[in-house]
Amino acid sequence: MDFLGFAVTQCLNALSQAAVLFFIACGLTLIFGIMRIVNFAHGAIFMLGAYVGYTAIAITGSFLLSLVVAPIVVGIVGMAFERVFLRPLYGRRDGGSYLMLTFGLAVVLSEAIRLIWGAQPLGAGIPRFLRGVVFVFDQPFPLYRVFLIALGVAAAIAVWQFLERTRAGLLIRAVSQNAEMVHALGVDVDMVRTVVFGIGCAMAAFGGALAAPLVTAFLGMGTTVVIDAFVVVIIGGMGSFLGSIIGSILIAFVQVVGSYYFQELALAFMYLLMLLILVIRPGGLLGTEE
Amino acid sequence: MRRRLGFAVTAALSAALPLVLPQYTLTIVTEALIFGLFAMSLDLMVGYCRLYSFGHAAAYGLGAYSCGMLLARLELPLPVGIVLAVAITVIIAIPIAWVCTRSTGVSFSMLTLAFAQLGYAMLYRFKEFTGGSDGIDGIPRPVGPFGIAVLQGKLGYYYLVLFCLFGSYLLCRTIVRSPFGAVLSGIRENETKMRALGYNTRAYKLTTVVLAYGFGALAGALFAAFAGFASPELFFWLASGRVLIMVIVGGAGTLIGPILGGAGFLFVENQLSQLTDLWPLIFGTIFIGFVMFAPQGVWGLITRSIEKSPAVTEAIEREETSGAAS
Amino acid sequence: MPLLECKRLIRRFGALVAVDAVDMTVEAGEIRAIIGPNGAGKSTLFNLITNVIRPSEGQVIFDGEDITGLPVYDVSRRGIARTFQRCHIFPALSARENVRIAAQARSPGRWRFLGGDAVLTRSATEADEALERLDLSHCADTKAGFLSHGDQRLLEIAMAVAQRPRLLMLDEPTQGLSIQETDHAVGMLNAMLADGNLSVILVEHDMEVVFRLADNITVLHRGRVIADGAPDVVKVNAEVRSAYLGELS
Repeated sequence: MDFLGFAVTQCLNALSQAAVLFFIACGLTLIFGIMRIVNFAHGAIFMLGAYVGYTAIAITGSFLLSLVVAPIVVGIVGMAFERVFLRPLYGRRDGGSYLMLTFGLAVVLSEAIRLIWGAQPLGAGIPRFLRGVVFVFDQPFPLYRVFLIALGVAAAIAVWQFLERTRAGLLIRAVSQNAEMVHALGVDVDMVRTVVFGIGCAMAAFGGALAAPLVTAFLGMGTTVVIDAFVVVIIGGMGSFLGSIIGSILIAFVQVVGSYYFQELALAFMYLLMLLILVIRPGGLLGTEE
Repeated sequence: MRRRLGFAVTAALSAALPLVLPQYTLTIVTEALIFGLFAMSLDLMVGYCRLYSFGHAAAYGLGAYSCGMLLARLELPLPVGIVLAVAITVIIAIPIAWVCTRSTGVSFSMLTLAFAQLGYAMLYRFKEFTGGSDGIDGIPRPVGPFGIAVLQGKLGYYYLVLFCLFGSYLLCRTIVRSPFGAVLSGIRENETKMRALGYNTRAYKLTTVVLAYGFGALAGALFAAFAGFASPELFFWLASGRVLIMVIVGGAGTLIGPILGGAGFLFVENQLSQLTDLWPLIFGTIFIGFVMFAPQGVWGLITRSIEKSPAVTEAIEREETSGAAS
Repeated sequence: MPLLECKRLIRRFGALVAVDAVDMTVEAGEIRAIIGPNGAGKSTLFNLITNVIRPSEGQVIFDGEDITGLPVYDVSRRGIARTFQRCHIFPALSARENVRIAAQARSPGRWRFLGGDAVLTRSATEADEALERLDLSHCADTKAGFLSHGDQRLLEIAMAVAQRPRLLMLDEPTQGLSIQETDHAVGMLNAMLADGNLSVILVEHDMEVVFRLADNITVLHRGRVIADGAPDVVKVNAEVRSAYLGELS
């Protein structure tokens, strides 16, 4: 086997996984930055995106349309949740409430999905125009994964520009740093939070809609992913957009390398990794350790 | 005094229950009590220490699997199997607690979840040992060393579970009302202050987690011998979620609330799940409702019990009644 | 041998040097006030001494023992008790329970979960004594969160006192108190310190309080000690005046 070809395809593999991870982690970190809460339901949101995407394809027959519909629908669901459930709790100083709330959301979403779509995994498969392979150093590599990488890069650039160059992005950055100040300047901070929560959910849903053709939409896809995303955000730094990019790439590479060399422990490997990281860098998010 | 009366009455009523209930219902009640015990074990962490565990199913699962293996493979007597299962889980819980308590807040919760997921994955990895997705089947209730066969029957088992539940409750209540328990309430209120006062708060949290695992394992072990099987679903995250919800809805920090919540939930689920598939969804929504509007839970609403140093009052009461006061 | 010695304590936060080579010596039985304009590093110094944060450089020696970098709870056990600027108490617990938990901290019995009644009653008695000393007995059963701000500050002091420390560190004990409450607090403190067994370091902004209580004053400005000595001496120190009043005078 041509080692160079193999190595490169594995790298590309990792990058494609990093792309999906990025969509989720970026949303998670944006939400944390603006609200100082970790959205435990983010994995379930991702899952919802996958299922909604599947249905969009089933109804319209268009994969590309599903990539538009899923984020919009799920983004709206997210905003509604924030508005109705999270916003009233801003007064409470008890961090546990948010944790429980987003956890409750995760449970409700998982159950709702099971009721609506059933317990069987659903997959529309990779759309025809994205099937096939490209050849990298004589090694075949799925075209779909190239598509994922391309989208990931495009999204990263888009979000980056949005945060850095637009007024809305400036507002978001300002609120993450000092919400009170921004509020004093007359901005409706609550609205900003709702919108960002919606954007974060939309991104995760986008990731879900993209992942569905690859891994099918199945119950339980949320839990693994939320832990992964959490690890990414811990490594990259809570609230750091750049960190979510770096973290995603890092974790994806570790996962790919790990599942190759430690095949047998593949399932357990991710959790061991997370334990290792949290042991080395325990820095609690809401509390502090020396 | 009122408390002791309440306890005695409840104990008497529970003991008399089998006389009025049909056998089928008794089985459900037994399972409900086991789940109540499981919920109470989590309350030690959540209600008294504000350590929100998303992976407490691991305690239950470890207890169930350990007990299952000891009873099915080694054919140890039932009481021995249960005690050993608890011991094994407690030993495993120590490094887990050590790792988890290194963090606070959400990190802590994620770590507990990760451990439960790890356990879940391990069960599949070591298929030959654990039975993989089938789990351990056909767990017997071996006759005890003195040929005590009473536990093999439904009635006997009901009393065993009742005994374990009441015993655990008394033990937990003593713990919570003790100096150690007072430290926990201090940590819950203001951990920074506790450290400034000279308490090694991490050690206390670690101990609490281990204790919670111990009682959770007891519930799991009882379940394994009750149901006759142990399967990987016991470790699934939704199982951890269920019991956490039970604690919050029942009333965190009251011990009794979670017992009633856990037992009640299982009972209702058993009845309602036959009627509607929507049950878990309704349940999750109820949970959200409680978090938002009634965080003190059902029992908390009923008793509105907020601490007024009952531990000290009780201790002084005890000293006086025992004639030690001069 | 001095009770507390700070040797060249330095603490940096990135480019900011919050505490800059501070040397300070406190004798047993002394009452030392640390004053200085806002941002002078007073609370940071407190946090360094009690090891809430670690010094970038330097040492803290307590009763001859190097306690630099020890965990916070170890520092407390060695005999240093402190209050916080933000008034840390247990709001949902009664005032008595607040102090009782503080008193319990010294006892090895604090770990007991079975048969700890003796520990509970003993610490309750000590708590009542501490409350008595600070004239808080009337609200012993009230939830700490419902007490007035002034009483909460006194409660925090009661908790510190219940720890039977050798060194008491008070971080802005009269902040947010009305004139009457301040007067009351100072009276309490003076009564408590009358027997001279307790050493105190206090951070204060209220000069009257400082002059009523302190034996010696250390003045911090921008992280540095700019004056150190008896109140009368410090009062007239030119550098101190300019630090407070700015370059205009």
